Amino acid sequence: MGNNKKYWKGLADLNNDPDFIKSAQNEFAEELPINFLGKDSRAEGSTPRRDFLKFLGFSVTAASLAACETPVRKVIPYVIKPEDITPGIPNWYATSYYDGHDYASILVKNRDGRPIKIEGNKNSTVTRGGTSARVQAAVLSLYDSARISGPIAKGSPSSWSTADKDIAAGLASGGNIRLLTSTIISPSSMKAIQEFTAKYPTAKHVVYDAISYSGMLDANKASFGKRVIPTYNFEKASIIVSLGADFLANWISPIEHAAQYAVTRKLGAGKKDMSRHIQIETNLTVTGSNADLRIPAKPSEIGQAAVSLLAAVGGGVSAKSLPFDDKLKTVAKELLENKGKAIVVCGSNDVNVQILVNSINQALGSYGTTINIDKPNYLKQGNDADVVALVNEMKSGNVQTLIMHQVNPSYTLPAALGFDEALKKVKLKVSFADRADETASQCDYICPDHHILESWGDAMPVEGSYSLIQPVIFPLFNTRSAEESLLKWSGNDTDYQSYVKKNWQDGIFAQKGAGSSFNDFWSKCLFDGVIDTDGKAVAASVAPVAAEVNADSKKTESSAADASIAAAPAPVANAQDLNAVASNIPKAGNGYELSLYEKTGLGNGVQANNPWLQELPDPISKVTWDNYITMNPRDMREKGYNLMERADRNATLVDVTANGITLALPVYPSPGQAIGTIGIALGYGRTKAGKAANEVGQNVYPITSVVNNTFSYVSSAALSDAKGEFLIAATQTHHTMMGRTVVHETTLDAYQKDAKAGNHTEKFKLQLGQHHTEHTATELDLWATEKYPGHDKPIHFWGMAIDLNACIGCGACVISCNAENNVPVVGKAEVAMARDMHWIRIDRYFSSDADPKEGSHEGKNYTEMENPSDYPQVVFQPVMCMHCNHAPCETVCPVAATMHSSDGLNQMAYNRCVGTRYCANNCPYKVRRFNWFKYSDNAEFDFNMNDDLGKMVLNPDVVVRSRGVMEKCSMCVQRIQEGKLNAKKDGRKIVDGEIQTACAQACPTNAITFGDYNDKESQLSKLNEDERMYHLLEEINTQPSVLYLTKVRNAEETATDGVAAASKQHA
Amino acid sequence: MDKSFCRSLWILSISFFTVLFLGTSGHASAQDGAQLFKTNCASCHSLGTNKLTGPGLEGVTKRVPPGDWINKWIKNSDALIKAGDPYAVKIFEEYNRMPMTVFTNLSDAEISAIVKYISAPPKKEEKKDGAPAAGAEAGEKEGDNFTMLLIIVTILAGLYFVLRGIKKSLESTADEKFGREPRPDYSGFAGAKLWAMSHKKHVAVIVLVLVAWGSKAGWDALAGIGIYQGYEPAQPIKFSHKIHAGENQISCVYCHAGAEKGKTAGVPSPNVCMNCHKGIQSGAQTGTEEIAKIYKALDYDPNTQKYGPNPKPIEWIRVHNLPDLAYFNHAQHVTVGKVECQKCHGPVQEMEVLKQHEMLTMGWCINCHRETEVTQFKSNPYYADLHKKFAEKFKGQKITVDKIGGIECARCHY
Repeated sequence: MGNNKKYWKGLADLNNDPDFIKSAQNEFAEELPINFLGKDSRAEGSTPRRDFLKFLGFSVTAASLAACETPVRKVIPYVIKPEDITPGIPNWYATSYYDGHDYASILVKNRDGRPIKIEGNKNSTVTRGGTSARVQAAVLSLYDSARISGPIAKGSPSSWSTADKDIAAGLASGGNIRLLTSTIISPSSMKAIQEFTAKYPTAKHVVYDAISYSGMLDANKASFGKRVIPTYNFEKASIIVSLGADFLANWISPIEHAAQYAVTRKLGAGKKDMSRHIQIETNLTVTGSNADLRIPAKPSEIGQAAVSLLAAVGGGVSAKSLPFDDKLKTVAKELLENKGKAIVVCGSNDVNVQILVNSINQALGSYGTTINIDKPNYLKQGNDADVVALVNEMKSGNVQTLIMHQVNPSYTLPAALGFDEALKKVKLKVSFADRADETASQCDYICPDHHILESWGDAMPVEGSYSLIQPVIFPLFNTRSAEESLLKWSGNDTDYQSYVKKNWQDGIFAQKGAGSSFNDFWSKCLFDGVIDTDGKAVAASVAPVAAEVNADSKKTESSAADASIAAAPAPVANAQDLNAVASNIPKAGNGYELSLYEKTGLGNGVQANNPWLQELPDPISKVTWDNYITMNPRDMREKGYNLMERADRNATLVDVTANGITLALPVYPSPGQAIGTIGIALGYGRTKAGKAANEVGQNVYPITSVVNNTFSYVSSAALSDAKGEFLIAATQTHHTMMGRTVVHETTLDAYQKDAKAGNHTEKFKLQLGQHHTEHTATELDLWATEKYPGHDKPIHFWGMAIDLNACIGCGACVISCNAENNVPVVGKAEVAMARDMHWIRIDRYFSSDADPKEGSHEGKNYTEMENPSDYPQVVFQPVMCMHCNHAPCETVCPVAATMHSSDGLNQMAYNRCVGTRYCANNCPYKVRRFNWFKYSDNAEFDFNMNDDLGKMVLNPDVVVRSRGVMEKCSMCVQRIQEGKLNAKKDGRKIVDGEIQTACAQACPTNAITFGDYNDKESQLSKLNEDERMYHLLEEINTQPSVLYLTKVRNAEETATDGVAAASKQHA
Repeated sequence: MDKSFCRSLWILSISFFTVLFLGTSGHASAQDGAQLFKTNCASCHSLGTNKLTGPGLEGVTKRVPPGDWINKWIKNSDALIKAGDPYAVKIFEEYNRMPMTVFTNLSDAEISAIVKYISAPPKKEEKKDGAPAAGAEAGEKEGDNFTMLLIIVTILAGLYFVLRGIKKSLESTADEKFGREPRPDYSGFAGAKLWAMSHKKHVAVIVLVLVAWGSKAGWDALAGIGIYQGYEPAQPIKFSHKIHAGENQISCVYCHAGAEKGKTAGVPSPNVCMNCHKGIQSGAQTGTEEIAKIYKALDYDPNTQKYGPNPKPIEWIRVHNLPDLAYFNHAQHVTVGKVECQKCHGPVQEMEVLKQHEMLTMGWCINCHRETEVTQFKSNPYYADLHKKFAEKFKGQKITVDKIGGIECARCHY
């Protein structure tokens, strides 16, 4: 078999739906709107044709009048120019991003006092210069107009002095004080909190993660006596088994994990081996898409799978039988073969399952090799039992004051807990939220914290790895850091900057600063952004863990010390107990099993009001602006839901009922979803976050429940029959490449035998006169003749390489590109009409072995096989402008608005474009985007570009395009020009790697490499020589400047030669 | 004419030119020291007794150690301090250990000229108002010419009508006298119509010319939209580039420092002005009035030398505006291309009020890129190896900016 693999973007593509084919033939899915803005869906915004003509007449007059007026533009210099600022030249500052959920050490590009771009800090040993979509988007969240501009008392604007006076009086009046915060990773914040709790003895600090890891923490407490999360080192693993942990996109510290993972997945001249990744999961996640072997399983089966695995690796437990037992056996065998080089992670929040996983890792000798429990990761410390206790305490009226920081419990807590009711019984409610969100709007006082980019602070995400937070902009509003507020209420008037500085002087400087003055040390730390203290936290500084945990670790100090001497963790609970633990794992309920998940874009929902993230297509479903029920197409067929096979945009709307809550949500087909299960994303359905987030999707946090003292994200659910239709804006089948073979794929075995496996160039038969000859497409050239040898590239020849093995599909590059190139947000209705403007898209291809239309193939009968769309494999392929050296777009432009430069770039001159769209029609890669409207200063597109504050994020070096022009990836030409100029100014050659495109810089796995083909020593030139190198649609001989590296799977079966598959299809 | 009068005129003019010549030549040698002082010293030292950043220099040659100490000090004060010279150390301590700039780039002769200038500074001259007066005169003159022309045209037009009237009345008198019928009066429109009827070819030509002229004028007017060549707005401070860049020869990039570093040349912030105007508190043309505006912007009191808490930025009117769709980088031209500022900005050093000298259109940019030869091949290692490549490609031709890609779209439009 093997060579009849078919790649498809969606069910419509798979089934060769006539509508899909028709729309795929059209570059533009929609007719030109004569009505001003679409039709039915936005009738209120529509304009009759007659009015359109009136507008036309008016705008001509207005334009000519405007043209005659001499604009008086002012230029206002600084009064006293700061020494390190030169207008027009960006400054870079190292700082850290942390919003209670995501952490990254970052560099911020600051242009004329405004932060405009976030990039990864390569100095960090934790995030290694990587970022995620959410971290990239944070710079826009800074300029969110929904932020409140100062303290609010009882719903109306107030002043800090009033708020301080009233709150201090409230605190002094006695009663229980509770401080509910997200996980705190900052030693200085923790110190401030301790100062506060010391001042008010009735105060208690409760830590809460919106998406909880409490089960894992409790399991580690049970297994090792420490309520911490260990650090995982995927880099050292040759086999990775994940039980539902989406560790590449969301789980604990995804940027860190992705960077480590990519190291094990990359192949090249000196590295012919890669890790094997097995994913057992319910919803198709980003991580699962990258797995070599993916085993779909119901949530209830995942717990049992842990039992089975433990039994198979010799854990002495008895396991029940599972439908995929045979696969589990091989997994266990492979795990045992790789003892000490294996890693097993689990995304469940059930303490029992996590204890079992701990035992598996123990049995595999992972502790001390791939997992380090003595070097905790502090990013998740929430304690669900404490939160439940707190709510009960509030209900009983025993809480006098509740102060909340970086949490939104009204939105994120299970409905069954009744937080809102309980909150009413609290006398003084204070929130540090930056907006009047679901919780803060019910508080007596909102004391807005700075945005992280306006704050001072520090962080210790991982034991012994410190990073600093420094402001990169003067606070936009009358805000105050939460720590400063706490200190003030504790009677300490220090400003928080000095407080952090003092803390570092006493702690880290004392240990690491030998031989320098503190000021030099401090400057160096600020410059680097990070400092590591030899794997151990500095004794004198406060560890960023809640007091209770501190006490715990003190208690276990002696045993931990023993353990470290023995270089093995504390003993785990015995086998007898494990059987009891295994029996505690919840059984499956009736109906569908629902598994709530976190999306790469919105995460836990804290940045929901960020239009970039809302419009980021989900890596798997490619849906924007919504959450929905993901369901296997087979289940959907059974229920009679619309499979959206006809490339239509209307999904079936159904009622889903779980844990007594009923929500109306559309059902979206998700091949790969375990049969009998459904998934819904958290983070949507905000009601008080701002105009981009409100009423988008449904909030499913209330569905969560408390099971075994932890929040459970799985439950059984019932689905109603179809009750209507719902518009879904998915980019999945947009910009499709007409069924041509675009992905080259092979297996590791084949690759080790032949490095060109899966990547043999196709030869075409050609009849020249009497002779039949075979040629590759690139040998036959219409243009390159002796007289005219093609474009000369005398100085530079820019290009990019994309390693399909390293790309995990996370979408960081898309957001990075948005920020760098002023890509507009167009909104759901426009995306639904295939008018998304992203310059880089990540195509997600499903692939399956059999063609569903053919019952038999080469004498083999495949009809018995599972429906190919049930559990397909997934490939991610980032596609941007290929900068073809024989560019089809360039030859059809009637006004020469797009043309080639002598350094290999396909240039686009917006002011010359007249909008014929011929170029887009002629582009085989479908990478050109047309500005159907003016997206800036247009109330119809009320996103960041229609907002004075939101516009501050725009990159001043890149034009904001106007209506009626074509645009596309420029390969960040502004960065190329800047890099060239810097080299010329310094009088030197350009150093390879000095210029990075925004997408390449953002990538946590370094899947994208930018460089100069003319520099023979460049990384790009080397990749160009790699056997895995291929060009997209090589057979049409466009000679792209972007190259791809074949995807290699560490799997035994489904050895598929993509090119062969293509020839089969063509034949 | 009287002979003696002629002779005295001769003598007078010769003596006048002699005086003029002597005056200017004598002034020139003093100018060296003065010029050097202004360029190198004036930002920190006054010629009076008042302290700026450094001490006032009145009588300085008398108070410092005799001999060539002062020359050594100016050349390299740091070395003198390090050598432990007692007076040097004393001064250094007195000024809070703030070192004086080292001037090893100055020759001994130049330093001597400065010392000479300091020891005998010129007496404060009467306020000169030559420059603006001259400007005003020039303006008046131009105005006079125009009035004269108008008067002449009016007189000629009057003359024409008077003569025509005379001719008409003579004709009618003659007609009357000889008993002919009076001619019909074809004046005005009727006459023109009659003429047009009989001269159709002429009319056609005239109409054609008019239409052509009209279209050309219309086209030019439209093409001129957005071009502000000659734009010369009044600025909030009557800053004269002529005084600063012309007479005092301050380098352009002293104030517009960004031009060498990045995209924008930048308008200097008032603290840069203060480098000199801490000392120079009164200008040649406007006295203290305009300089006081700098102090106001900085909330600076020149008497107490204290900065107040309420500075306010100066809102200059931007003269050179490029549209947003064009990316222009000063550093590329100034630092890399070594293009003179005047090439695009015109003779700024002669401008009393700054004016947009060139059109700043794309055609103008492209034209320059087509004409300008790339001279950096040898001096800038970035271009190493490229010269040979290009020389082979364009055998014998001048390698201009456009030949190395300087007119490609994405160099300026992105």
